[in-house]
Formats: sequence, C-alpha cells, structure tokens
Amino acid sequence: MGVVLSNIIAIYRRELQSYFVSPLAYAIAGIFWFIAGLFFVMILLGPDGILLGVAAIDAQGQQLGVPTPPIDVPYEFVRAFLDRMGWLLLFILPILSMGLYAEERKRGTLELLATSPITNWAVAVGKLLGVLTFFITMVVPMLVFEAIAISGSNPPMALSIPLLGHFGLILLAAAILSVGMFISSLTDSTILSAVLTFAVILLLLLIDLIAKIVPGPVGEALGYLSLLKHYNTLTQGIFDTSALILFASYIFLGIFLTAQSIDALRFQRQ
Amino acid sequence: MKIVAKKKLWKYLFWLGPFLIAVGLTVGLVSEQWGLIPLVFLIAGVVISGLGIIWQSYETNWWKRRSTQAGTNALVATLAVLAILGLINFLGTRYHLRADLTESQLFTLAPQSRELVSVLPQPVKVWVFDINQNPQDRELLENYQRQSSKFKYEYIDPQARPGLAEKFGVKDYGEVYLESGDKRQLVQTVNQNERLSEIRLTSRLQQLTNSTTAKVYLLQGHGERQLSAGKGAISQAVQGLGDKNFTTSPLNLGETSKVPEDASVVIVAGPKRGLFEGEVKALQEYLNRGGNLLLMIDPNTNPKLNSLLQEWGVRLDNRLAVDVSGESVVGLGPAAPLVTEYGQHPITKDFGNGNSFYPIARPLEITSVPGVQATPLLRTKPYPNSWAESDLQSEKLEFNADKDLKGPLTLGVALTRKQAAKSASTPQAAPTPSPLPSPTIQRKAPPASPASPALSTPTPSSTPSSQTATESRLVVLGNSDFATDGLFQQQLNGDVFLNSVTWLSQQDQQPLSIRPKEPKNRRITLTTTQGNLLILSSLLLLPLIGFAIAVIIWWKRR
Repeated sequence: MGVVLSNIIAIYRRELQSYFVSPLAYAIAGIFWFIAGLFFVMILLGPDGILLGVAAIDAQGQQLGVPTPPIDVPYEFVRAFLDRMGWLLLFILPILSMGLYAEERKRGTLELLATSPITNWAVAVGKLLGVLTFFITMVVPMLVFEAIAISGSNPPMALSIPLLGHFGLILLAAAILSVGMFISSLTDSTILSAVLTFAVILLLLLIDLIAKIVPGPVGEALGYLSLLKHYNTLTQGIFDTSALILFASYIFLGIFLTAQSIDALRFQRQ
Repeated sequence: MKIVAKKKLWKYLFWLGPFLIAVGLTVGLVSEQWGLIPLVFLIAGVVISGLGIIWQSYETNWWKRRSTQAGTNALVATLAVLAILGLINFLGTRYHLRADLTESQLFTLAPQSRELVSVLPQPVKVWVFDINQNPQDRELLENYQRQSSKFKYEYIDPQARPGLAEKFGVKDYGEVYLESGDKRQLVQTVNQNERLSEIRLTSRLQQLTNSTTAKVYLLQGHGERQLSAGKGAISQAVQGLGDKNFTTSPLNLGETSKVPEDASVVIVAGPKRGLFEGEVKALQEYLNRGGNLLLMIDPNTNPKLNSLLQEWGVRLDNRLAVDVSGESVVGLGPAAPLVTEYGQHPITKDFGNGNSFYPIARPLEITSVPGVQATPLLRTKPYPNSWAESDLQSEKLEFNADKDLKGPLTLGVALTRKQAAKSASTPQAAPTPSPLPSPTIQRKAPPASPASPALSTPTPSSTPSSQTATESRLVVLGNSDFATDGLFQQQLNGDVFLNSVTWLSQQDQQPLSIRPKEPKNRRITLTTTQGNLLILSSLLLLPLIGFAIAVIIWWKRR
C-alpha cells in the first residue's frame, strides 16, 4: 500500500513539474484567467451586471414607493459565476487532459510507463491528481476575487454555499478530466483527444436535454447521467449525496478505463 | 473461385443485421408503438448480426488470440464495473442524504407539504401541459416526488397528445392538473411570470386527497324542498354536493332534537311551515358551538327563525323583490330578479358580473351587530329597475314610495361570528351555577343572546364537534327556487349554492399556513476603488501574468 502511495506521489510530482515548466500550461492558464475574469466582471460589475441591475430595481422601488422583492445578491452572483465557470470547463479541461497519455504515446514513453513496475492504476491516479492540482491553482485567483466581492455583502453571507459550489466545481473538473484522461489514453493525437473529449463532455453536460424527450425510466436514467444537473444542484446550495456519488463514479470510471486501456496496450504490444 | 465469391457475398449479407436493427428502431421510435413490426425487424437484425459475429470469429480464429482473451477479460471487467457503478448510483438515488444549505431553505418543501405527501393514501399525479420545462418547477415537483413514491408528475405537450388534453379540458399552455383516481383538478396555470407554487399545489393536494368528507344535513319536516327528484326538488343540488365530496343526509330535528356532532353544514332549504321553538334552539345551539347554517327562505313563509336571525342582524323582509329589467332581457318574469352584482366574498369572488336569478325572492335587511361580520352576496339592480313590492294583489307593478323599498336589494348575505372563549356546550337556557362567587364578572345570560359567549367560568371546551372551528358561519338567501332542479344548472345558480356550502363547511380553515419562500434580502456594496481594482486585476493583471510566464519559459527553452 505504501509503495503504491509513493508511486502515485512520484507520478503526481512528475506531472506537476511538467505543468509548471510548460509554456503551454501557462498560456492555457492565461486564457482561462482572462475568460473567467471577463465573466466575473460582466456578471458583477458590467453594465448588465447584477450590482447595477439590482441598484436599478431598488431605485425604481423607492420611486414608486413599493418594497422591492428580496434579492440575495451574493448568492445569485456566486450561482451565475459558477454556472459560467461550468461551461468554461468544457472548453478548457479537454486541452488540459488531452496530453495526459497521448503525449506519452507520441513520445514513446508510454511503453516505459506501461511496462514499469508501477501499476497502471497508480499512474492514472497520479496523472489525474496532477492535472487536477494544476486546475485548482488556476481557480484559486478567481476565488480571491470572489472573496473580495462576497466580503462586501451586507448582511454578511454564510460561506457554506460558495464553498459547496466550488467543491462542486472541483468535482465536476475531476470528473471531466478523468473522462478526458481515458480518451487521451486511446489515441496518440492530442488534437483528436481534445476534440473527442470536448464532444463527450458536451454530451454528458447536455444529456439532460435528451432525457427530457425520452419518456419513462430510460429518460430518467439518462437525465441522471447529466453532469450539469448535479453540478447545478451543488451550486444552488443543495448538498446531495447522490450528486457526490455520481461525480465519484465518473472519476472512478475514468481511472478504471484508463488503466484498462493501458493494460490492453501492454498485451497488444506483446 | 465461385465459393470465394459466395463467401464474400455472405459476408455482405451480414450487414443486413445492423440495417434491420436500425429499421426496427426507427419504426418503433417514429410510431411510438413497439408492436409486432418493429419487434420482428429488431429480432431479425439481432439474430443476423449475432450469426455474423460468430461466423466472423470462427473464420479468423479470433477467439484463440491472446489479445482477444485479454480483451475479453477487460470487457468483462469493464461491464462488471459499469454494472457496479450503476447499482451504486441507483442505490445512491434511492437512499440519499440531502441538505439544503440556503439560509431560507429555498429548495426544501415546507413541513406541511412533506407530511401531506409522505402519507398520501393513493397515487396522485401532476400533469403539466407545457412544452417548456422550467427547471425551477421541475425541482419543486422532484422535491415532492422524493417524499413519496405515490407522487408522480409528467410534462405533456397538449398538441402532441390532444386526447389527453381534452380529457383534462386543457385550454392553454402551462395548465397544471392534479389527478388522483378519477378526480382531476386544475392547480394553476404556470407562465413566464408565475411559477408553480408550492402553496397552491399542496393545498390542492390536500383538498383532493382529503378522505374525510364533510357532512351536510338538510333539514326536513316543514315542507322543505325534497331531496329526491320530484317537483320543486333540489336533487340536482344534492348531487352537486356529492360531486364536491360532501355527504348529504336529511335531518329531522323533531326526532333528534339536536344537530348531530358531525354536521359540517346544516341547510334549511325553503321551509313552508314554521319550525318548532325547540328546533330553532337546536340550530342556535349548533351555531354557538361553531356550526354553519345555510338558510334559504322563500317569501310568503314564516319559518319562525326570527329569534335566530335577530342575533345575526338579519331581518327577512316580507315584500317581494321585483326586477322589471329581466323581463325584456332574459325573458324572466318581473318576479325573478336577475343578479349581476356580487359582494366581495369567497363565495362570489369568481363570479365577475355573471348572471344568476331568483324566481320569487324576498329581500333581506341587514343591521350591524357587534361581533358579526356581514357581507352582502347578491344585489339586485338599483331602482328603478328593481324594488321590493308590497302589494302583490294588484295587477299592475308599480313602485309606491310609501310601502315599497327601492333597489338595490340584498337577496343573500354571508355572515361570520368569531368564536371567542368556548362556551359550554349546553346553551345558556340551562342555568349554569357559577362556582365563582364574585358577582361582578358574572354575566347575566339572556337566552336570546348567546352571542356573548365570554362566560366567566373558563369551561374547557368539551364539544368534540367544533374541533377546529373558530367561527360560526351563516348564509341567508331570500329564495330557494334558484337551486331547484332545472334552475340549478342555469347560469351561476348552482355555483351560488355550492360555493355557499363550500364556504360554510369551513374547509378553508384547516389549510396550511405555508409561507412563500423568499430569498434573504442581501446586497453587495463595493466601493469604486474596490470595483476598479477587481476589474483591473481580473481582466488585465492576472491573464497578463499567465501569458508573461508562458512567454518567458518559451523564450528560455529556445
């Protein structure tokens, strides 16, 4: 067990190092920060932003002398921002996950990994942890901005909902990355891997729409597979174990399938 | 050579398999019926494909390869993992923990709703006739569904399933119906501005599943309207009550001398002869313990209810309400006033200015009595269209200022009286020996005014009948003809009767005090500097840092 753990840590460190010295990773982070910042500013401070919108409603209410309906501005803000972030993940994460195995295949280092004494499991887990850590470091600056905004809320807001929402964001990212990792392990073309991952994730996000058309328990089951639906549950402030189980299932399935696909590769080469 | 060609042909033949499967699926999906034809296609397709795969694998010795064995292992393992994950998720949906972290519990059903749904006696289904499925509404419905497996909901496109829409009488998109057994009820119409409301859904649900039917007694024995079909009977009205989930039974106070405890409403429909004093007392006593009475008194009769009506400030006028406008418009006689003006009251709130008419009606005179709240329900047209005629013998209908009363006349009134501290179930007629010696607070209780129930002795309420009633209600109508067979179904006549009984039954008393959920009112206040700082750092500074590092590393690597 200890060996496996140290193996995982070794892979994890190698992955992290490769991210933090890669210009591509920083370029991706830069793009991510710019788009996320754009969302942040538009939602909060922009001309159609929530602050100006609510101020207008308040002013109107005062003019007419009618009390305005209660609006929980920080809550709405966090929800809207997390919703956009969920969509942003769809575009950013396939780029992060595309190289996980495809790059190794291209360079020919996958054979080394596949035949090394480290189990495929440990490799997959380490790689996933690495890319997830990189993603979390990308999100942290946004968290700081959000914290500044929320700190201006009056009366102060309990932090449980934003925390749960961001936890959901990380879970969603882990699920997407895990699936992306599996897809990356199938091909040696990073572009193909990214495009395929994008397609699959888009399907998993939107499967809810398909499910609405399909009646009966099949539709229900399909709708349950929707990542977005469960993500929304968490960002709304509902802690639901079934959502956690679903995300955990996706993560586990991705790791398992990756290990299987590398296993198959080992036999094919023999 | 020929054999090879034949084999190749065979190979292509197996492509029929997927083709047939596709045909079967298409036929089934398009026709939405999985009858014989799509099934035949599907089965044939699956059999051909299966044969093809088996044949193919024998042909190429596929089974004996090492990679195949490994692949099979992987396949089996993958299928097993998928099955296990599916099972875990299935269990996860069945047994799950859900906590609403929002401060005002935005996504949690009110305890009343939860309790009601979890003890549903029979399956109920909510039908939403809409094409757009609002996520908020769905969330609410799913919340209900989580409480009980007996609660179901379905979204229906009324145009795609016109038969179903017709069954429910759907008129517009967004109508939400509740169905339980063979009962259907409109809950509300949802649209862009109005979302599905938990309050309405729960109260409708309660009404629909309420198995305890209210009991309505109809007084008999003084020439009242017959309950079974016949001339001047009110059998249709009785049936209407049955449809509204009331059980009706005749009541003869001469025999029982007391209104039964389970009476929700007592109806006195058009008595021709006077009631006995004891009977009036029984009715008074019933009202005093939170009872509800519907009096329909025709002109030219004296039901001897004056002592009871006096307490409530109602006097029966002996004149006849005439309405000369109805003659020309609807073809009714002048003695059948047409009412288009209704009071602001739950009974008449949906009437608008619809028509109802009352052949041979007597006006009512209402004086205000402390503790009694009176709302006139039915008003005739103003003079000169209607007045109260005293001279019924003369041939010509004309208004005589000295004897007749100018319209508008009140033909119906709804009254409520709050039940203050519960009085003893025995009426004041029986002298209650007060154990309290202080004479200052000992109230003299005249038998005619039990309206002052503030007895000095705080007797614990021992009347089981008035469990929840906090007030007693009375509706007096100066006519009983309007509810008789034939007239009952015309215009709003039936609604006047049924709504009155429904209001009297005080079913609106039990409902649920569900408060609408509102988010907490909260604002974000940022100073301009803070705002600018946020804009600068998030839009400019941070991305630039990212790009700068990328460029630097790339430059170094070169």
